[in-house]
Amino acid sequence: MKVDSLVETGEQIEPIHNSELQKIAPTREERLFLVLSIFIGVLSGLLVVSFRVAIEWIRILTLGSAPHPGQYRLLLAPALAGLGVALLVRWLFPGAVGSGVNQTKAALYIYNGYISFRTVIGKFVTSAIAIGAGHSLGPEDPSLQIGAGVASMIARRLRLSRQSLRLFAPIGAAAGLAAAFNAPISAILFVIEEVIGRWSAAVLGSVVLSAISSVVVARWFWGSEPIFRIPQVTLRDPRELTAYAVLGVAGGLVALIFSKALGYLRPHLRSLARWTHFFQPGLAGLMVGAIGFFGFPQVMGPGYGVIDQAMHGQFAWKLLIALALLKLLATTLSFSSGTPGGMFAPTLFIGAMLGAAVGSFEKHYFPHLTGTVGAYALTGMGVLFAGFLRAPLTSVFMVLEVSGNYSIVLPVILANTIAYLLSRSLQPVPIFEIFTHQDGLDLPSMEEQREESVLHIEDALGPLNVPVVSGSEPIEAVSATMSFDEISAFLVQLWDGSWYTMTRDELSSATAMLTGNTPIERALKPDRTPLLFPDLPLDTTLRYFSRWPLLPVLNRANKNKLEGVITLEDVLRRYQNS
Amino acid sequence: MPVFELRSPLTAEERQYKRKLILRDVVALLSLFAITAALAVATYFLFNSFARRRQALAERWLERGESAMSNGHPEQAVDAFRSALEYDPGQRETEIKLAMALSAAGRTEEAVSYFNTLLESEPGNGLINLQLARLAAKQGSESRAVEYYQRALDGRWQGDGYERRRMVRLELTRYLINRKDYSKARTQLLVVAGNAPDDPKIKLEIAGLMEEAQDPASAFEIYQSIADRKPCPIEALEGAGRVAFALGRFQLARAYLERAANHPDFGSQAETVQSSNRKLLDATIHVLQLVPGTELPPKERAARVLHAAEVAKGRLAACSTNTPTTSPSLADLASRWQQIPAKSSPMVLARDPQMEQTIMNLVFDTEKQTAATCGPPSGEDALLLKIAQSPMGVEMQ
Repeated sequence: MKVDSLVETGEQIEPIHNSELQKIAPTREERLFLVLSIFIGVLSGLLVVSFRVAIEWIRILTLGSAPHPGQYRLLLAPALAGLGVALLVRWLFPGAVGSGVNQTKAALYIYNGYISFRTVIGKFVTSAIAIGAGHSLGPEDPSLQIGAGVASMIARRLRLSRQSLRLFAPIGAAAGLAAAFNAPISAILFVIEEVIGRWSAAVLGSVVLSAISSVVVARWFWGSEPIFRIPQVTLRDPRELTAYAVLGVAGGLVALIFSKALGYLRPHLRSLARWTHFFQPGLAGLMVGAIGFFGFPQVMGPGYGVIDQAMHGQFAWKLLIALALLKLLATTLSFSSGTPGGMFAPTLFIGAMLGAAVGSFEKHYFPHLTGTVGAYALTGMGVLFAGFLRAPLTSVFMVLEVSGNYSIVLPVILANTIAYLLSRSLQPVPIFEIFTHQDGLDLPSMEEQREESVLHIEDALGPLNVPVVSGSEPIEAVSATMSFDEISAFLVQLWDGSWYTMTRDELSSATAMLTGNTPIERALKPDRTPLLFPDLPLDTTLRYFSRWPLLPVLNRANKNKLEGVITLEDVLRRYQNS
Repeated sequence: MPVFELRSPLTAEERQYKRKLILRDVVALLSLFAITAALAVATYFLFNSFARRRQALAERWLERGESAMSNGHPEQAVDAFRSALEYDPGQRETEIKLAMALSAAGRTEEAVSYFNTLLESEPGNGLINLQLARLAAKQGSESRAVEYYQRALDGRWQGDGYERRRMVRLELTRYLINRKDYSKARTQLLVVAGNAPDDPKIKLEIAGLMEEAQDPASAFEIYQSIADRKPCPIEALEGAGRVAFALGRFQLARAYLERAANHPDFGSQAETVQSSNRKLLDATIHVLQLVPGTELPPKERAARVLHAAEVAKGRLAACSTNTPTTSPSLADLASRWQQIPAKSSPMVLARDPQMEQTIMNLVFDTEKQTAATCGPPSGEDALLLKIAQSPMGVEMQ
């Protein structure tokens, strides 16, 4: 089953008696949440540091300390690693397949935040072997899943409620990603944009805490720089924005090609006979190795060193374009073959090469106009991030966070917006959603969820078309007023600013039971209509219609002033028309 | 315990469960802490061993790169330096070495791009500006080359900045001389000469460049100042003789060239250099034998004038024969020669200094005009032309 391959379901979660726990220790989970967020962050940080070191060691052992064209090990290492990883994934760690982002989303939305220990180990081992041996994949997405897995394990060990278990997965995911990228804000935003889908105050504090804890750990080992050195970043001349716009267009088109290539090859390879799945990663490794063997070993592995070199102007623009295109090809092969590893680093690689190519080209032909090549490379990374991964907010903040320079914000926003809009108009379905559909899952679309517009009371608000009476008016006067109107209910305004919706039946019963000069407020039941304002979500009204046939909507500044009234029919009509 | 019961509505069983829960949570958190600590220690050792390995690899590749560069294998050096930087990024020295290796490997575009990036983070670096100047010169962009040379001169240098700036200025001068921009080259040489230390080697280099920049007078002054020292380098004597000859100061040229020929180091020089100096000395002596100097006895002086006239007339006749169409300037010269008495003896001519001067002027005009019409002369005609080009110099001996 496709679902089984994503997340194992062998381990049973011990049933938790929520009501009992709530009574015995009502604040237990709340307190544990923050403490555990720090533990999750620290553990994820340590695991991700070990993960990266493992990748580097494997790289040195398999590809040598300085891979260069013509070495046969460039062909052999990724091919053999591909075969080994395929066996491990098929027989031991079926949950380790893929990048890690969709698997974490599946765990969150389908399996109540459950990620098994075996999946975490499998992801660590298989991704480290594949990436270290030269497959064109990155460590961030696996780190995200490793972090989510750590969080899931801890939450299970402490027998937290199902709701908490579900919340812990994104906390761990943010910690893992933050440690891998050494940039906490970007990681938090990415998890919110791509995993959770919408801002949630309930989880934000813990996400921030765990992400920062993991980054502190990562920086204790790697230092404060991100995974590559950031050069001086400047916008020298406003005319440069034209070049950034060109970069945005190029990024949008490359993101489209990348999406199309993956969207075509991945299902095609998956539809082949099952026995071929054992050989696909090996064959992909051989092809990626061939790219390295015949002249471009830079495309092998995550390529952070090459990103660093491109940012510091070590390559000519023609070579940069060649590297971008070959990386695109190599990543498509590696990822489509089912080799475990992430898309994050290759996306940054292609973007950096593209940006540096535009920057170098401009510097070559317009030397007095352009800023640094590094600025273009950095913006290029954001451009591909926005265009390919469809995380526009993360893409902007990522560049700002790693550069630490806000002078580049304008070109980044310009280029990223162009790339995002272009990619979105040419390829409406985001890449993670394409993968989800290919896996036979139906996870919520984060892009749609982000942009989903929430209806408010003001959207269904009707005019004040019922009588309004004061609570001090005598019953007979109110009855006299109502006898001319064909309405079923009317509003009563009380001396303390509260309101009451009285039905005609209630009025009739009050007329029968009480004397005519009794103030109407004496005939009212003790409850009052809820305080509703036009900016509240429309669905908040639904729970009140079983009690009130009509609800007054008040002005926030003056609760004695009515903005209008709303009925169940108004609400349903508005939802049906939306 | 009625008070406790009031504060806690839990049953005894629930209280026991709560205690168990707290105990379990504490144990769970402690074990989590222990796991974290153990993992931190393991990661620390793993990372440290990895960091040491990286450092060792960085040093190894740096050495290989330097060795490849010194052995003339810049392509290998590029790979080696790149590897060194991958394991130890941000090392400025290695980055500059890599850029220089790229340049040496003929990957000019990559080298320019890399140097430009290095320059962005350190705009005042003299070495980077110098390298960019060389690359611009290689690419044929004179204005950018000169601009980068100038920035290199104004930039910061590690070590002996004074010495390095002089080297840059001399390099810039050579570049300008190659571009035949002698005026700018002379300006640079004036600055170098003004600031140069009292080192004969450096002064000889400056004087040599002055010769190339067509400033023999300044070059002669420097050669002369060195030649007056004791002991003086043979190069100064040779240079002074050569420049004195070029300036037409043949007596001085002869004196310096003879001193050079008698210098103890003369024999240890290359055969070609010795031969060239001997030829120049012979030519100088021959010129001096041709020059009708005022210090000579009148008869001898008149004889030299007559000899020069014979040589010049022969040259005019040969040139007129070899010229297909009659040149007006040659015809004019022939007409002037016809006005000179055909037969004249040294005795007669010695009594007419005015005529001597007229004949010598005509000789000089003839050599100059025939050289312009029929190409550079040889033999005594060449020597006479040399005298013609610097008659004042001859008189200044």
